[in-house]
Amino acid sequence: MSEEYSLSLKDFESSFRPTWCPGCGNFSQWRAIRQALIDLEIPQEEVVLVSGIGCSSHMPNFLKVYGLQTLHGRGIPAATGIRLANPKLTVMVYGGDGDIYGIGGNHFLHACRRNVDIITIVSNNSVYGLTTGQASATTPVGTITRTTPRGSIENPLNPISVALSAGATFVARGFSGDLKHLSWIIKEAIDHRGFAYVDVLSPCITFNRNQTFDYYRQKVYKVEDTGHDRENFSGALDLGSQIFIKDKIPIGIFYQIEHKTTYEERDFALNQGIIPAQAPLDLTEEQIKIITEEFY
Amino acid sequence: MKKDLTVRFVGSAGDGLVSLGLLFGKILKMHNFNVLGFRSYQSVIRGGYNSYQIRFSQNEVLSVGEDADIIVLLNKHVTKLHKPLVNPNAMVIYDEDIIDLDEFDYPENIIKLGIPLAAITKEISKLKVLKNIVGFGAISHILGLDDVLIKEVILEQFGKKGEEVIFTNYDALDKGLKFAEEKGWLPIWEKHKAGKARQMIITGNEAIALGMLSAGLKFYSGYPMTPATSIVHYLTKHLPKLGMIVKQTEDEIAAIGMAIGASYCGARAATGTSGGGFSLMTELIGMAGIQEIPLVVINSQRAGPSTGMATKTEQADLFQVYGASQGEFPKVIIAPSTVEDAFNVGVEAVEIAEKYQVVVIVLLDLYLSEMNATVRKLNMKRNNMRFNILENPDDNYRRYEITETGISKRTVPGTKNGMFFTGSSERTETGTSIASTLAGLPDTLPIRVEMVKKRMRKLDCLIKELDPPKLVGSKDAEITLVSWGSTINIVKEAILQLEEEGIQANHLHLKYLTPFHADEVEKILANAKRTLIIEQNFTGQLRDFIRMKTGFFIEQKLLRWDGEPLVTSQIVEKVKEVVKNE
Repeated sequence: MSEEYSLSLKDFESSFRPTWCPGCGNFSQWRAIRQALIDLEIPQEEVVLVSGIGCSSHMPNFLKVYGLQTLHGRGIPAATGIRLANPKLTVMVYGGDGDIYGIGGNHFLHACRRNVDIITIVSNNSVYGLTTGQASATTPVGTITRTTPRGSIENPLNPISVALSAGATFVARGFSGDLKHLSWIIKEAIDHRGFAYVDVLSPCITFNRNQTFDYYRQKVYKVEDTGHDRENFSGALDLGSQIFIKDKIPIGIFYQIEHKTTYEERDFALNQGIIPAQAPLDLTEEQIKIITEEFY
Repeated sequence: MKKDLTVRFVGSAGDGLVSLGLLFGKILKMHNFNVLGFRSYQSVIRGGYNSYQIRFSQNEVLSVGEDADIIVLLNKHVTKLHKPLVNPNAMVIYDEDIIDLDEFDYPENIIKLGIPLAAITKEISKLKVLKNIVGFGAISHILGLDDVLIKEVILEQFGKKGEEVIFTNYDALDKGLKFAEEKGWLPIWEKHKAGKARQMIITGNEAIALGMLSAGLKFYSGYPMTPATSIVHYLTKHLPKLGMIVKQTEDEIAAIGMAIGASYCGARAATGTSGGGFSLMTELIGMAGIQEIPLVVINSQRAGPSTGMATKTEQADLFQVYGASQGEFPKVIIAPSTVEDAFNVGVEAVEIAEKYQVVVIVLLDLYLSEMNATVRKLNMKRNNMRFNILENPDDNYRRYEITETGISKRTVPGTKNGMFFTGSSERTETGTSIASTLAGLPDTLPIRVEMVKKRMRKLDCLIKELDPPKLVGSKDAEITLVSWGSTINIVKEAILQLEEEGIQANHLHLKYLTPFHADEVEKILANAKRTLIIEQNFTGQLRDFIRMKTGFFIEQKLLRWDGEPLVTSQIVEKVKEVVKNE
């Protein structure tokens, strides 16, 4: 396999250049995702990248894989359906904080507890970019945006704590300003067996003058440097809450546990190795007998 | 002797009414009767006022009947409430240990058949629900049913619960039979024996599930909502043997989202709900439409608006589904009429969806979803084919290639060289968005125009494949009755009754609502002497729909929106009124 695999970053590029603002944090994620896929030697046709609506959700336009852009917030359900229909595929969801924490929040919560083996990456810039600058679920209190001209009066959501509480089996945070570290996290996330979630601090250089690259550079530190054990749940909860209570923001893999069975392993059809997308369409005589017996 | 009989069990939620009805239906079916059962109930889990009505005959049963010949009262509370619905010649069976019928001033001429159900049951077991079986024994005697056959059905139903349960049930049945015999109650029918024909007895929801399974359904997702939930119940029961996925999701948006994902991947997929859930699904219906992802969406209508009447029937979602989602895209709407038709539509919907890469909406209603009816053999053994899926795409592959039929072949994830991007925006033939990536470029305007035309062309092709509606009955009839969905057989029964009274009526029943056979419908209506629309809603949605599509205005209307299914006599009276008034 590894001798045959020869895909490069270029091979994973579509024929369109990204349309994000020059300097946008999404660019490094565009690169990190490709790098992670190459490091894991995954063929292009076995990757499905699903997104919602927003600046970041344009990502599937710019990658040469199977790309499905859905509606605002609806990437996770579509990705779940894709993965359950064909568990051979690597299925990733990519979207923004408005998309996945806001309008798609309910799906995010249930994806965490279900533990379907998909990867969800959230480009978190604490603002609605595509609609030109409104407050999002992760906008800090007091922030002035076009919908909060007197400062936001809502407390922001802490998505790391939410994901941990909801039962996600891989929880991490990366920073668009640290490409190498981010690629590594995404690679680990893809490699994880079960639902993997990565929040990416990704500055919006046009509509967010607060959470800039410089702002984050001064605050972030890597949990890998602190000796944190990623199987330590309460330690992970503690790190996850630091974004609001300390002047330091931890990045890295907060939590990973693999002993929990995945949804696919618990499902009665999938655990028999059946791939619904490829299964035969005709009912057998035996199946007809079983499903109609109760009507006679 | 009557051609057919109607029996009504009346009780409260928790009285075991539904299992009694289902068991009774099965026993009648084994005696080679045609059976139609329907329950009327409230949205409560315990208590309240419910009934289960069964009509059976050696002829075809077209409606659940109006007046019950035999009424079985299961508790005192409902005895009082049911009084206005007791016809003067009914036979009333009741538990005389708890009900004193004289207290309630029931019609004078009814035949009162009291049984000390509680006392008899106590002798057998502590289980109070057994009294239903004791009562059942007495009814069996009156109907001349074969007790050996009944025991066979009991064995099948309760076999898994062990010997003790079976024998207690047998005992209860025998005690009921014996009581009726000793009291000298006379059988109203001659003794019946088992027939040879092996019919099935199933509900509309089970039938559509069977149809979809026969057509190769591999993925179904839904969120519980009456009256669509029993589709999930049925599929879930059997899924390990079917190699399919059935998912209860966090909401209806996720239900349709997952089905779309699975279908995009190549699995034949469907989702189902009622009007409220359908509202939540609406946005993604449009997405599947523009992405050309095959999908079956079932909407089993119940009385609206909003939560409306959760356990009552209505046909008021036609315009909701017709207008579902913003913008214009091809959408297929089919309304099955009978349980058998629900099976056929299940097959057809899955096939049309994949072949044309469109959303197919199936409009059921509570009456059809929940009616339990005997059906002839359903053809479940099929040779299913895959439609328009490309396994070895060449270098020129364009997912959204403009074609004459409007259908473009698709690849599914995992296919080498088949990768494409699809968004929820308008696009080029290769899938690139002309709303973002190529936005504003002048040469994208003709692309938009052609893409809309390409998608809409699919309906022009599809309509040629669908059977056009036909006028049933004499061409020279005095009146043409127009209906859709579950009312078909009620109208049919009314036409037969009118014929006996010397009034000729014919029938135009519509099944395919989009695409719509406008020319055929207009021609039929233009030749009618008089026209009457029959619908279960307030505004006459099909009537407006027909006027919009054909310009023809159906002058007379019979509309019912109280939540109960139409009855034959209503139609007969309305027709007489219309015909005589002119």
